Amino acid sequence: MIGTESYHVVLFHSVNCAMYADRLLKQKGTPYKLIPVPRHISSNCGVCIRFPSQNQSEVEEVIQGVVEFDVIRPLY
Amino acid sequence: MSFQVDARGLDCPQPVINTKKALEKHDALTVIVDNETARENVKRFLASAGCSFAVSEKPDGIYISAEKGETAVVEKSPVPGEAGSGPLVVVISEDVMGRGDRELGAILIRSFLHTVTEIDNRPGILIFFNTGVKLTVKDSPVVDDIKALEDSGVRVLVCGTCLNFFGITDQLGAGIVSNMYDIAEAMTGPGKVISV
Repeated sequence: MIGTESYHVVLFHSVNCAMYADRLLKQKGTPYKLIPVPRHISSNCGVCIRFPSQNQSEVEEVIQGVVEFDVIRPLY
Repeated sequence: MSFQVDARGLDCPQPVINTKKALEKHDALTVIVDNETARENVKRFLASAGCSFAVSEKPDGIYISAEKGETAVVEKSPVPGEAGSGPLVVVISEDVMGRGDRELGAILIRSFLHTVTEIDNRPGILIFFNTGVKLTVKDSPVVDDIKALEDSGVRVLVCGTCLNFFGITDQLGAGIVSNMYDIAEAMTGPGKVISV
C-alpha cells in the first residue's frame, strides 16, 4: 500500500535485469519493493523496483555498474 | 445439559462439520475440541451461523458452549447453478503465478498481489492452498500486501492442512488458518471465482 512516503523507481530494459537487481537488493537488505511499472510511466507489461526516495544513494550503490538499468526516477 | 459434540482428536474440517450437523437438530450444544485451530474454526462457524457462544478451557479440552440466537440460520446448501452475487473469490494455489518458469512466476505473483492492493475491485475472499500458503508466511515478500488486503476487509483463508504439510504453521504472517470446509464453501458460493 502506498503511504505518505515518497518513492523513486528503477526502470529496466528487461525483466531479467529487474530480477537480478531484486536479488542484489534483497541480499543487501535495502528496503524496496518489486512492483509492476505504473501505468502512467509505461504501458509495457514490466516490473520495476520501488524504493523510498531517501534510500536512493544506497540503491544506486548496489546496482550501479552491476545491473543494466534504464533510469531512476521519482514515482510520481 | 446441552447436546455434546466431542471433536477431540479429529482433523479439520471434521469439528466444524460435526458442529454444523448437530446445530441442525439442536438449539444449544457444547463442542469440545483439543487444539487452537479447531477452536477458531468452530468459533468462526458459530459466529457466522448467528450463535452466541462461550469458551472455557478445561484440562481435558476446550469447551465451546453455543446457543442459537434469534437470527441463527444454519444454511442449507444452495441450489447448484443458482444465479446470485457474492464476493469475488481469488484462489492462489501456487507460490508462483502461472505455469512455466518458476522464477518468472515468483515475480508475477508479487506483482499481482501488489496490484490487487491498489485496484478498486478487490476480491472479497482470498484463498491460499497447496504451495500458495508459502506466500503467507512472515518472511514472504508479499506478506505485507496480504496483510494490507486483510486490513482493508478482505477475508484471507489459508489452508491449515497445507501449512501443516510444509511445517510452516507457526510462521503464518497473514490470514487465518482455515479448513477445506470454509474453502469449499467460499469456492462454491455465489461469487465469481478466479484461479490465479
